Amino acid sequence: MPLTVDEKSLKHGVLSLVVTLVEVIQEALDRQALRRMNGHDLTPQEAERLADALLELDEAMEQIKEDHGIVSSVADLHRGLDEVVDDVVDKLINPRRWAEEAGG
Amino acid sequence: MTADLSPMRPTRDPRVTLDDLLEVVLNKGAVLHLDLIVAVADIPLIGVSLRAAIAGMETMLEYGMMRHWDEDTRAWAERSTARRALDLEEDENIVCRMSGGHLLTEGLYHGWRPGTVYLTDRRLVVLRDEPREILWETGLDAVTAVRLEPEETVGGEERLRLDVALADGGQERLSAREPEELRALLTEACAGRPGPALPFAFRSPAEEDPPLAEGHLWYHEPRRGGPLWRGGQGRLTGDRLVWKSPVDSRPALVLPLTDITAVRRIPEYSPAGEGGVIAVRTAAGDEVRLAADDPAAWTERLRATGSATGPVAAAGRVTG
Repeated sequence: MPLTVDEKSLKHGVLSLVVTLVEVIQEALDRQALRRMNGHDLTPQEAERLADALLELDEAMEQIKEDHGIVSSVADLHRGLDEVVDDVVDKLINPRRWAEEAGG
Repeated sequence: MTADLSPMRPTRDPRVTLDDLLEVVLNKGAVLHLDLIVAVADIPLIGVSLRAAIAGMETMLEYGMMRHWDEDTRAWAERSTARRALDLEEDENIVCRMSGGHLLTEGLYHGWRPGTVYLTDRRLVVLRDEPREILWETGLDAVTAVRLEPEETVGGEERLRLDVALADGGQERLSAREPEELRALLTEACAGRPGPALPFAFRSPAEEDPPLAEGHLWYHEPRRGGPLWRGGQGRLTGDRLVWKSPVDSRPALVLPLTDITAVRRIPEYSPAGEGGVIAVRTAAGDEVRLAADDPAAWTERLRATGSATGPVAAAGRVTG
C-alpha cells in the first residue's frame, strides 16, 4: 500500500498538535493566574487586565480552531494526551502495577 | 456518616490530566542544578554549569526569586497603559466588534491571521492586539460587494467566509465569529453612505483566461540537492505557462510568456522517454526544462503563443 501524505492532512495534523500544545499552556496560565489573583498581590486594575487578556486569548483560540475546522481533532488529541499522563502517573504511584506488568 | 463504613482509605482520582500534572509541577516548582565536565584522558576539556528553575510566579515569589523583576514588569506595564481598543477618528463609532481573521494572500506567506474584526461607520478593520498591528483595513466607501462563501477548512469542515470586493478590483477574505451578522451589518453600513450604487458583483476567476493547452508535463525542478524530474499538470494560457504538481498547493512554475526568449527540444533522456525534453530559455537567462509525452505539440504551442506575444520564435529554432 503506498503511503500518501498530502499537504492537507499534514497541515491538519501539525496544526492540531500545535493548537493542542498551546491549549495546554493556556490552561497552565489560567490556573497560575487564578493563584496570583488569590495571592492579593495584584492591584484590582491588574487583575482585571489579566482576566481580560486571558479571556481574549481564549476567544482567539476558539476562533483559530473554528477557522481551521480542527475543534474535534484538538479535543481528541487533548484527551489522548491526558490519557497518556494518567497512565504514566498511575504506573509511577502504584508499585503493584510494576509487578503486574513484569509478571505479564 | 454510618459507623459500618470501613475506615477511610486513601484513593487516587483515576482521571489525572496533563493540565493537572502541569499545575502540580508549577505550584511546587522544579529546580535543576547541574555541573558537568567533559574530559578526555582525564583532562577536563568542556565545563557545563546549569542552574534552572521553573515554577508559577506565585511560588517563585514565595521563595524570594524574581521579586524585583516581577515588580519592574508590572510597574512598566502600569506606566505604558496599553491602548487596547481601536484608535478611532473623530466622530467615528464602532458598529460591531467580533473575533475573526484576515486571509493574507500577498507576499510569501499565505494564511489566516487571527485578530478582531471591527466594523465602524467608516471603516472595516482587522486588528491584532499583541503584537499590535492593523492586519487589514478598508474604508467603507471602497467596498463594492460583500458575500458569504463556504470554504472547506484544513480540518475538512465547512465554514462561511466573508468575501469583500473592493473598488480597486481587489478581493479580500475575512473570517468572523458571526459571518452572517457581520455581512448584514456591513451591507447596511455600506448602503447608508452616499456614493455610487453598488454593483455587488464578483468577477469569477474562471472567466479570466481559458487554457490554450492543458496536459501532463514533467518539470525539471531545481532543488538544493540537484534538479529533479517531477510529474504534474501543465497549463498554457494566453499570457503564461503554469506548472503545478498535484501534491503542491501552489504552482511551482509560473512563466509569463513575455519572458520566454527561446524554445527548443533536446535529445536527452527524461521520464517521458528519449528525446522528450523541451528547454525554455527565459529573459533572465535561465533555462527551464520540461518533458512531455508529446514534446512536438508542446514546443509548437509554446512557439506559437510566444510569437504572438513577442519577439520569440525565430531564436527558438536553434536545435541542440
